[in-house]
Amino acid sequence: MSLVSGPGHAGPSSLPDELQLAIEPHVKYIQSLDSRRDELEHWLTEHLRLNGLYWGLTALHLLGRPDALPRNETIDFVLSCQSENGGFGAAPGHDAHLLYTCSAVQILAMVDGFGELESRGKGEGGGKLAVGKYIANLQNRSTGTFAGDEWGEEDTRFLYASLNGLSLLKMLDLVDVNRAVEYIVSCANFDGGYGSTPGAESHSGQIFTCLGALSIAKRIDVVNVDKLGRWLSERQVPAGGLNGRPEKLEDVCYSWWVSSSLAMIGKLHWIDGSKLTEFILKCQVCVEILQLVGSADKKLQDPERGGIADRPGDMVDVFHTVFGIAGLSLLGYPGLEDVDPV
Amino acid sequence: MASHGIARPAASVQRTEEQLQEEHRKIQEYRDLEDLIRTKVAERQYTVEVLNLTSKLLKANPEYYTIWNVRRRLLIYGLFSKSSDSSSPSKVSPSTSRIDTTPVSSTQPSDSVTTSSEASNTALPDPSSQNPGKNGTTLDLIKADLEFLFPIMVGWPKCYWLWNYRLWLLQEANKRLDPITARKLWTQELTLVGKMLVRDSRNFHGWRYRRIVVDELESQHLQGTSMVEVEFEYTTKVIRGQDGLSNFSAWHRRSKLIPKLLNERGTDDAGRRQFLDDEFDTIITAMYTDAFPYAQSVWFYYQFLMTTLTDSVRHATITSNFTQEDRIGYLTRQLSILKEMLEDADDCKWIYDALIEYTMSLSQMEQRQLDKDETEDCKLWLSKLRVLDRLRGGRWDDLDKELSGSRALVQ
Repeated sequence: MSLVSGPGHAGPSSLPDELQLAIEPHVKYIQSLDSRRDELEHWLTEHLRLNGLYWGLTALHLLGRPDALPRNETIDFVLSCQSENGGFGAAPGHDAHLLYTCSAVQILAMVDGFGELESRGKGEGGGKLAVGKYIANLQNRSTGTFAGDEWGEEDTRFLYASLNGLSLLKMLDLVDVNRAVEYIVSCANFDGGYGSTPGAESHSGQIFTCLGALSIAKRIDVVNVDKLGRWLSERQVPAGGLNGRPEKLEDVCYSWWVSSSLAMIGKLHWIDGSKLTEFILKCQVCVEILQLVGSADKKLQDPERGGIADRPGDMVDVFHTVFGIAGLSLLGYPGLEDVDPV
Repeated sequence: MASHGIARPAASVQRTEEQLQEEHRKIQEYRDLEDLIRTKVAERQYTVEVLNLTSKLLKANPEYYTIWNVRRRLLIYGLFSKSSDSSSPSKVSPSTSRIDTTPVSSTQPSDSVTTSSEASNTALPDPSSQNPGKNGTTLDLIKADLEFLFPIMVGWPKCYWLWNYRLWLLQEANKRLDPITARKLWTQELTLVGKMLVRDSRNFHGWRYRRIVVDELESQHLQGTSMVEVEFEYTTKVIRGQDGLSNFSAWHRRSKLIPKLLNERGTDDAGRRQFLDDEFDTIITAMYTDAFPYAQSVWFYYQFLMTTLTDSVRHATITSNFTQEDRIGYLTRQLSILKEMLEDADDCKWIYDALIEYTMSLSQMEQRQLDKDETEDCKLWLSKLRVLDRLRGGRWDDLDKELSGSRALVQ
């Protein structure tokens, strides 16, 4: 997922007044995330710190508040997560892994930090090249897919992370893109979808990664668009939300995985955008409070009113917050920056 | 940070001073443990003591992937080589353990962890050895680790790192133990994953793990033979079990096993025809029971069976020698079954959707346009779809355009 600048679309106008996106509370909620060092949860989730920063920062950019987190501290933190091999870990001292390396590159691209990477980055050759080499070394040259790290787990998630990172670094030529495309084709199922490896069940998250990788490789032509579009459109449940696989519960994060996938194959209109918008908005804490007590609770601080959960009434987190907001942006919700489905 | 399905407390409560202190104490304890492990590892203390420290930390936080990696290094660079079955306890240079300097092999990433310790450590232990020695045998270490993992996996069935670490242990067993011993371990995994799938029959980690375990048990290096018959039987059992008809994971697995099953059985054309008939019977009987014409998993499996007829180039997995006439015959028969089905379930959108799709497929197969009756039927079915399924209005609009296109050609 990356950001493109541009004016917001005209959005759904038929929503009830209380069902609006609570921009300021969401900004405050994201800003508050790093100040929770007195909570055990903060320490137990350190393995997600760099992803969390990416999710939070992306949400802020979409909300039109790119400066709400300080740029220099952001870059310092990202660079502090880099290992000597050029890859990035989840936090300082954590092992390098493709997932975090991709997040690091995305963040640096978003805050225009490649200059700092060039001057301060670690690894063989330093700068962007060291990161590109780390990623490229994880490709399985015989099958085309990628391992997540030196321990060898392979998954189409890692394939996408690699192509995404390398395309932002403008170093796609370090890997065999054709092989990677062939590998994705070998993961296709009769329903048009894709799984984590050949033979695996179609899953909306994996479909997003495969379509994202194919978009970067400019090879969407290999997709069975009608079959996949149909399967993806059936992810929408009567409540308006989307699930990840047949007959599973809906979840806000699939608002992103499914609708961006539909957008990449030109079938976003095959689901009901206004029902989905309504579902996402109902997963905001502030809407929940409003419906419980009948009026906005003025006593609550903004951060406590911010954030989006997987389903109405559940705990919020930054992961669902960004994917909810990104889904809204894709659906043309007014006042948000446009998101690129890839 | 990513919380799924955890209910939010009704109101945010201010923590008392006591609670704050308690939380602070827990944080300190957790961070001290973390620091201790990092210090010991930096000092290259690859010992059972440090392994136990990582156990403690991982029980509190199984998502801490770096600590799973620490555990791998403790085993590879320390404990495996010190174990009593090692022919010559070797002094491994820990510098090879540093990920920073070891680029991943570009062809075989899973083998990239192979280090110099391997060479001195490939002496196979006697699997019946009753003398584990001071540090236990490699087998004991692997077994103990597999046991350690199980309760954590039950608590965190969707944690990628756990499944991944488990597989790594078993791959180490392949490298370090004789095939018969390794095979026993993999066989137990089939039971384990069976249990995990009973707990959550849709867990896609579990289904993936099952595929890998089966591949391994079938492999030459473990002296395996095909398990396609028992695996096919397993999907039948799951589908017939509780909520089985809604288990798309099992239907999917079934679709993948069928080509191999028929090939290995050496099924002839008549047998393949019978097989397809039986599968259609299974699925259509399922649709007639309970609420299943309204549940989508069976309809996607139905689509799979139909795809083997309509998409004959890429998906002729059951019907490889069917003639065009055979295919047309099957399609015509299915269309009449679907129309019959409407009599009992005229509010079931899946039937209308399938009728339109396969009516169009039939005309394509016969290399002709839709005739007047077919066009009118499709138009009627589409109008039903628009009413029954408003969420997907955009799709029905596109279908309408497609139908209008072919109508224009007929007139």
